[in-house]
Amino acid sequence: MAAVCTASRVLAKKVLSAKAIPAVSQSSRKLHFSVYGKNNSKVSDGMSTQYPVVDHEFDAVVVGAGGAGLRAAFGLSEAGFNTACVTKLFPTRSHTVAAQGGINAALGNMEGDDWRWHFYDTVKGSDWLGDQDAIHYMTEQAPHAVVELENFGMPFSRTEDGKIYQRAFGGQSLKFGKGGQAHRCCCVADRTGHSLLHTLYGRSLRYDTSYFVEYFALDLLMEDGECKGVIALCMEDGSIHRFRSKNTVIATGGYGRTYFSCTSAHTSTGDGNAMVTRAGLPCQDLEFVQFHPTGIYGAGCLITEGCRGEGGILINSEGERFMERYAPNAKDLASRDVVSRSITIEIREGRGCGPEKDHAYLQLHHLPPQQLATRLPGISETAMIFAGVDVTKEPIPVLPTVHYNMGGIPTNYRGQVITHTTEEGDKVVPGLFACGEAACASVHGANRLGANSLLDLVVFGRACAHTIADICTPGEKLSPLKPNAGEESVANLDKLRFADGNMRTSEIRVNMQKTMQNHAAVFRTGKVLKEGCDKMDAVYQTLDDIKTFDRGIVWNTDLVETLELQNLMLNAVQTINSAEQRQESRGAHSREDFKDRMDELDYAKPLAGQVRKPIEEHWRKHTLSTVDPKTGKVTLKYRPVIDNSLDAEDCAAIPPAIRSY
Amino acid sequence: MQKLITQVSTQLACCCYIRTEAESRSASFKYLRCESGTCIILGHWLLSSQQEQSHQDSAVTRKKDTMLSVLVAKRLVSGVCPKSLRPAVAELVTTRGYKGEAPDDSRGDIIEIPLPPWTEKDGETMDIKRRRLLFQSRKRGMLENCILLSLFAKQYLNTMNEPQLRQYDRLINEPSNDWDIYYWATEAQPVPDVYAGEIMDLLKEFTKNKDQEQRLDAPNLEYLDKGSQ
Repeated sequence: MAAVCTASRVLAKKVLSAKAIPAVSQSSRKLHFSVYGKNNSKVSDGMSTQYPVVDHEFDAVVVGAGGAGLRAAFGLSEAGFNTACVTKLFPTRSHTVAAQGGINAALGNMEGDDWRWHFYDTVKGSDWLGDQDAIHYMTEQAPHAVVELENFGMPFSRTEDGKIYQRAFGGQSLKFGKGGQAHRCCCVADRTGHSLLHTLYGRSLRYDTSYFVEYFALDLLMEDGECKGVIALCMEDGSIHRFRSKNTVIATGGYGRTYFSCTSAHTSTGDGNAMVTRAGLPCQDLEFVQFHPTGIYGAGCLITEGCRGEGGILINSEGERFMERYAPNAKDLASRDVVSRSITIEIREGRGCGPEKDHAYLQLHHLPPQQLATRLPGISETAMIFAGVDVTKEPIPVLPTVHYNMGGIPTNYRGQVITHTTEEGDKVVPGLFACGEAACASVHGANRLGANSLLDLVVFGRACAHTIADICTPGEKLSPLKPNAGEESVANLDKLRFADGNMRTSEIRVNMQKTMQNHAAVFRTGKVLKEGCDKMDAVYQTLDDIKTFDRGIVWNTDLVETLELQNLMLNAVQTINSAEQRQESRGAHSREDFKDRMDELDYAKPLAGQVRKPIEEHWRKHTLSTVDPKTGKVTLKYRPVIDNSLDAEDCAAIPPAIRSY
Repeated sequence: MQKLITQVSTQLACCCYIRTEAESRSASFKYLRCESGTCIILGHWLLSSQQEQSHQDSAVTRKKDTMLSVLVAKRLVSGVCPKSLRPAVAELVTTRGYKGEAPDDSRGDIIEIPLPPWTEKDGETMDIKRRRLLFQSRKRGMLENCILLSLFAKQYLNTMNEPQLRQYDRLINEPSNDWDIYYWATEAQPVPDVYAGEIMDLLKEFTKNKDQEQRLDAPNLEYLDKGSQ
């Protein structure tokens, strides 16, 4: 004890308290929670129950180093803030690297364009669940954000005149939907995601950003409703690190891995959403999960829409090109949610393919092999490697696959995390910000348009940095933090590390994924959802009976995957419960028993003479869900959609209407 | 084009040879690989072919433009490689776009914003190295690599000896773009010399999936349970 005190005093500045913390007895194991200064950070790998903690102080901490996290970290460092970026993956290996599409921005290089048209497209695409002030902010800032990136060194593809080349993408139109297809998507060949990460990471290093790579963030350090930092596990040596800061930005990405089949990497585990849930704060609109119509059955790898663009067709077990029935004009090139629903209907009506009749086939072998090789080179390889299929001879098994999470941590248009009460309305949580797929600003509402996601990352990462720069100055003194802050997280870590129940992590994970896949997929019905909620609750309870096998503390993949499973579970219960409660079909959430959108007025009929429904009686509102982590019980509240833009004169808000393309 | 490259090579005092591609593709980028391990992009050439002419669509126009200038190349090489090193260039390699035709890629970000070079970790026991490589095989940037590398790690990681572990470490940790590893493994693109070797060959063979088994997901960790603790 005395040695610890001396060491702490000697190391002076960054030490929190000279007293050691009494043992926490949350389990039968005794935990000794000690505090060391910054320079003393090595711990031996052994079966030690001691968890030495290293404290750090920063002006801002960013959790996650994908597109949004890096943009926020870079913006903050540029503004002079001492910034730390805590990430479980090397920055250029974040899931953003998978993005090959591009960034939408109304630059007007291919034809005359106006950001207000982009605004209209996004509001309509969100099925009027998006907050129009945030959408206004995003689409107006889009050209500035892209030009800024270009100035940072991102090598956008160019036209002959040297202007940034822009391509067409789904859902983008001119003149408020009346002027035909718009070409707004800026790209860097086919590696836009990688280029974004590389550029931002490289630039942020010049401004002295501190990167803590392969540190798994466990929880937020909350005190009196204010966020004071993050506690994380260092994978390399098993030490615990507390990052104290006045500003914490969460940019941890989505949670595709709650489903059995998703296009996301195994790193998309909703860590940020879970951290916020455990802190008692709500998550917003988690029931809105976007399904991409063609992911490889089982593996989930994305088969690009370009296949269907090149002539590929979808067939059912009878060999019929069924899209002709559902979309006589567009056929296989109808919008994503239409194709997803069509495939699902075919399967439910018994015309699915394969031994379990649970998927459809994407046929490419009628196309000339030469065309396949030149136009779609990657597809042949992916099909062979992951489905064992030779595309020149057999069709590829495909299924609508989880692709993106529109929901997440609720924020205002400036990136600040908010909570909501009916009396006081939206209230900012001091010290906490969120951006990227983890956040819900909400710009995507009930359905996301392609190429708007990379834009979302960049604009709101930048917004978080600007907001922090507005309200704080670098070098501000930090408010005091309780010496034993974060001890529950460490206790949980210890409990999982030595867990010896009956169900393995992988079993519980597969149960959760199959429940979500069977009960909360493309088409949802009340009965199936209710069954799913009960099953999910049962799976949640089995977490208490979990069994891990790796008792070490250094590079313990089993432990990290178990922590990720805990995070995924919190996301899954909220998703399925929110979906069960929402009795309408809107955007990506479609219900067989409630096929229509339920707004405050019936927009399909003339508005004159209609009575506006009160918020309790219609569904054009955001869902705010909270969970009690001990019991797994979900509580739902609702929050109105923001219908006004930031400046009514500059950009008129779009009143709701029927969404048809 | 040949003339230009020989001109460049004399200026740079590098030795290089050009490997001509048998088939022409739409966009191609050529880069020289230094023995110091740094990648230098000299510019891009567009190989046009009759095939291409018929595939052109109006939205994308092809530039037959060489951005290469000898001065630029010289500046790049001397900027990236330390002056003391005389880069002995290994070979000229082509890459191509992935999902169908893609617009030009000047790779300006990679040239102008070099990231800190990857270094091997010292003082790691083989056991710890294996544990680290397991985590790094399972957690990748995109799903294809997650599945491929975790299945590969399940099959081979525990039986690799030290030089093999080091090769694997470099292969999965040095490349900045995860897609590159996928293209090399699927032989969509040629493997740069610095990564070629036993492990890369193993990975290529593994990827071919000769038994045509269904690779639906990354394996669970339980195969490690008995023994390796």
